[in-house]
Amino acid sequence: MKIRKYLLTAIVSTLLFTAVSVSAQAPVSLDLQPDGKNPASPVMGDHLQFWSTITNTGTSPIEGLVAWISLVEIDPGNEQPVDLEDWSAHKAVTGASLGPGQSLRTDWPMRLIKGGDYRVVVSVTDRNGRQVYTSPTVQFHIRQKPVLQAGRVLPVAAGIPLLIVGLMVFNKAKQRHKRVFSTHGQVREG
Amino acid sequence: MMNTIWTIVHKESAQMLRSQRGLLWLLAFSGLLSAFSLLLVSNTELSLLDNAQVVYMMAGTVLAAGALLSAILGSDAYAGEKERGTLVPLLCAPVAPSALLAGKAMGLLAAWGVMFAVATPYLWAVGASGQNLGAALFYLALFGTPVVLGFGYLAMALSARTGSVLASLLSTVTLLMLAASPLIIGPGLRGTAIGRALDAVNPFAGALNTFDSVIIDSDPFSAQTARLLLVIVWLGLCLIAARRSAARPDFQ
Repeated sequence: MKIRKYLLTAIVSTLLFTAVSVSAQAPVSLDLQPDGKNPASPVMGDHLQFWSTITNTGTSPIEGLVAWISLVEIDPGNEQPVDLEDWSAHKAVTGASLGPGQSLRTDWPMRLIKGGDYRVVVSVTDRNGRQVYTSPTVQFHIRQKPVLQAGRVLPVAAGIPLLIVGLMVFNKAKQRHKRVFSTHGQVREG
Repeated sequence: MMNTIWTIVHKESAQMLRSQRGLLWLLAFSGLLSAFSLLLVSNTELSLLDNAQVVYMMAGTVLAAGALLSAILGSDAYAGEKERGTLVPLLCAPVAPSALLAGKAMGLLAAWGVMFAVATPYLWAVGASGQNLGAALFYLALFGTPVVLGFGYLAMALSARTGSVLASLLSTVTLLMLAASPLIIGPGLRGTAIGRALDAVNPFAGALNTFDSVIIDSDPFSAQTARLLLVIVWLGLCLIAARRSAARPDFQ
């Protein structure tokens, strides 16, 4: 009797585990790879490209698919998400639909704006689902290069024209002073 | 002789720093460089340019502005005196034609020197954190001076020959635009046989290629000798033309 009870418990547990595993399996699989032509040691200003492959591994179609790329800076003490405004004009794919077994391959070009260590990831969700699925991350380092420093340019760009205007005003005042002085001299002589 | 030359130099160079006209030109020049620098800082695409690339672009702009000023001052040198009615008294004064030419050329050099001084802080601001800023300043002086002075001499030659500021100015500025075209068209377009041939005889292109070579590629002085010869020949030819025209200026 005791053996039967143990056997039943084992069968129920196995069935329950299988059911949970099947239900937990994501209906979407995501892959993210850097392009083979990307520079091995990218520097600021370079262009990188990443390829994502989104596959519908479920049994029903995915409608209103939205995929987007995210970039995170991971420099020690400076960990933060990056606004892609200047980095990429291609930030999302929207409205696509994927039938069961179908895949969507997308390229994500990126211009490297700032030096440091970064991690890129692509996320996907759809119109009906409540889940967000993410790809594996790709990490890369951007080498710093000497570029313009606004803090040095702005004072010069504003200061030099102002200096010349000051010189013009000074010259004008000096000429007026000289004219007045010579007029006074002529009056005295007269 | 030296006193006469210095008197003319003093009078000509005073136009740049003491007259409102000269200061207005300097203000326009600094405004141009300020606008260029601010554009570089504010534009994401441009702000990612390497420091050396930016210094090269700015050196080319300074050279073009210097040559333009030289063309204007040179065109005014003889024809302007004629139109103001001061050429005949000047020719009647005990001043040798060569002294008059030397005085006007040195006045022009002084104006270029002031422009160079105004441009230096801008070059520092955009290039201090990069490479070859010192070389940029040195080669801008070494190659820019003969190119700028050459355009001044050419304008003086035309000014003395034609007796018309407008005619001289139009001719020199047109030639300057042709010479300065490498600033606008990229190195790719200049890579053709015609482009290379034009580069080989164009002093402005010679100076620009030197800036490219020393600022961006960090090439040594020995690689610049052929181009230095080109700008010196340009200066020599323009000087000869100016001396010949200045000996018999059109004053009627």
